[in-house]
Amino acid sequence: MRVQLKDIRKSYGSLEVVKGLNLDIAEGEFLVLLGESGCGKSTALRMIAGLETITEGTLMIGDRDVTEVLPKYRNVAMVFQSYALYPHMTVAENIGYPLKLQKTPKEELKRAVLAAAAKVHLEDYLERMPRQLSGGQRQRVALARAMVRTPSVFLMDEPLSNLDAKLRGVMRAELKRLQAELGTTTVYVTHDQIEAMTLAHRVAVMDAGVLQQVAPPKEIYDNPATRFVARFIGSPAMNIVTGGIADGKVTVQDGEVPLGGITPRDRVSFGFRPEDSDLVSPEKGMLKARIFSTEMTGNETIVTCEIGTDHVVVRMDKDFDMAPDEWVGIDVNPEKARLFDYDSGERVRA
Amino acid sequence: MKDRSLFQRLFEPPSLTEMAPASRILTYAILILWAIVVLFPLYWVFITSFKLPFQVNDGPDFLPFLDFEPSAHAWRYIFVELGNDTLRPYMNSVIIALTSTVLAVTIGSLAAYALVRIQYNVKIGTIAGFIVLLGATVYAVTQFGTPWHVTAAIALALFFFFATSFGRHFRRSLGNNDILFWIISNRILPPVVAVLPIYLMFQRVGLLDTHVAMIATYMAVNLPIVVWLMRDFFAGIPIDLEESAEIDGASRIRIFATIVLPLARPGLAATFLLVLILAWNEYLLALFISTADAQTMPLLVAAQNATRGPQWWYMSVLIVIMIAPIIAMTILLQKHIARGLMVGAVKG
Repeated sequence: MRVQLKDIRKSYGSLEVVKGLNLDIAEGEFLVLLGESGCGKSTALRMIAGLETITEGTLMIGDRDVTEVLPKYRNVAMVFQSYALYPHMTVAENIGYPLKLQKTPKEELKRAVLAAAAKVHLEDYLERMPRQLSGGQRQRVALARAMVRTPSVFLMDEPLSNLDAKLRGVMRAELKRLQAELGTTTVYVTHDQIEAMTLAHRVAVMDAGVLQQVAPPKEIYDNPATRFVARFIGSPAMNIVTGGIADGKVTVQDGEVPLGGITPRDRVSFGFRPEDSDLVSPEKGMLKARIFSTEMTGNETIVTCEIGTDHVVVRMDKDFDMAPDEWVGIDVNPEKARLFDYDSGERVRA
Repeated sequence: MKDRSLFQRLFEPPSLTEMAPASRILTYAILILWAIVVLFPLYWVFITSFKLPFQVNDGPDFLPFLDFEPSAHAWRYIFVELGNDTLRPYMNSVIIALTSTVLAVTIGSLAAYALVRIQYNVKIGTIAGFIVLLGATVYAVTQFGTPWHVTAAIALALFFFFATSFGRHFRRSLGNNDILFWIISNRILPPVVAVLPIYLMFQRVGLLDTHVAMIATYMAVNLPIVVWLMRDFFAGIPIDLEESAEIDGASRIRIFATIVLPLARPGLAATFLLVLILAWNEYLLALFISTADAQTMPLLVAAQNATRGPQWWYMSVLIVIMIAPIIAMTILLQKHIARGLMVGAVKG
């Protein structure tokens, strides 16, 4: 179902943690709330679930205003980071708990539990206790419990962050497929930008309680709305160098980059991604830099350079071979470079 | 490793999973010694219950049939000659200890759960208002003879008016920790201090020497212990579980019954046992509140030390039959006092 957050605020006393959140989540959409810990994303999710009261604003699920509605009447299902399995119940009892509360007839309950367990490949574990399961299996139980009563919205609070890296990749793919199959609107909170980029139809980036940008992953990556989003998305992160604009050029310490048709400014944050730049000989490059360190990852080499005291990262192919402290030039693709207001961090367009 | 010296063989563990012979011997020696220290008095009481008075006075004999000829005379006296005079206190003890414990654990764990999960914020001004109105009520009833129910109703109405209007404007408030301290402070005073007011109170309402008075007193006295013990057990239950159940559609009572209570079972069992033992053995309050009809076992045991000097043989019989149900209860509840119930709930 469609979920709408209209100017939602949350304060604890005088401390405001969510500052006017507006989101319109379409039916069947997979929306990821992305941000650093403490940015208010979990609080936002808990407000949708009804675990936190909404200080100000309106929350709609479908056509219903649920701002003041008890969690159990919202028909949402939540998956917790800790899985929150009931340790004294078997897997089957865990999955069936929401249906049992709805007084579903026994036969129907059994069938629903089996169906949900089958979706996450847990048929053979129904009689086990949670303590007898591995982390990945526990995670599946939590997912099955969320699916079993076909809720109108899935809420997931960092559901994968307790798994080890390899399992996380597997579960990510399964989760994405499951959501596509069920077509249930999903709000997913994470601090992991890879999870956000891979899972989301749209990513909503939050910082300090303020929504920075909502857009599809590709758009977020290519056209970050603020300097925060630019730095947050991408690994290695986008390089940000401070400079000024004059005569159709961005002038930074030790070099300049030609950018056409931009109004002059004294100070600007000049950003470019590691893959949109190239290392050339020192006399030919737009920026002059010194190699700080090189890291070969297998399929590429991450080169960290020093421009004055700023560090800039350039992505080169795996055969790149230069020693630290050598002087190099950096060429930047002007079309892919992005400018941000130095003070506000807002994107500066032509 | 074959040619290890005697010293090494004695003091070094043969492998990582085994103890060195010397430490093993020492450990068992200490354990056996301690077991004797603990178990011997029980054995002594048990055999004393089968001795005749002159055998007790003859000096310490410990081996039945060898040192002395066992006799059931004390058992016959307690059960046949005294008959109902033994059975009544025994049943009193059972009824009073069990009922007061069940009530204390039920009420106390509800209070403990509330104190863990709900943040209270009582304004000090409101409390002060309550005390002032209470004082005024008592003053009006005693000095001017106003009908007490009318006065109480007026005071209550005034209190609610005060709490919802002026009370809101007070800044200073008490939190959960203050409430907890207030609860435990009921246990800080020695019972001797409270026993006279309690006695007078029950005397005025005509409940002296009744089960109701004993149960109410024991329950009140043991409530703080239940609250403090159970609070820790409830605090150990991850809140995620309860929030998850809440979203799954459970009401607060339902969450308490189907999630919280089963998980707090070890704590409940341990608390139940502790409080039961406290109530079962309580002497001082029973001495004041009960005289005959509601008399409990500890009083009966003490009564065997009468004008004729301590009647060790009768006392021993009473002690044996007093210990038995507690041991049975402990064995019964022991399997519930298991660890590791929470494993698998949350990632850990």
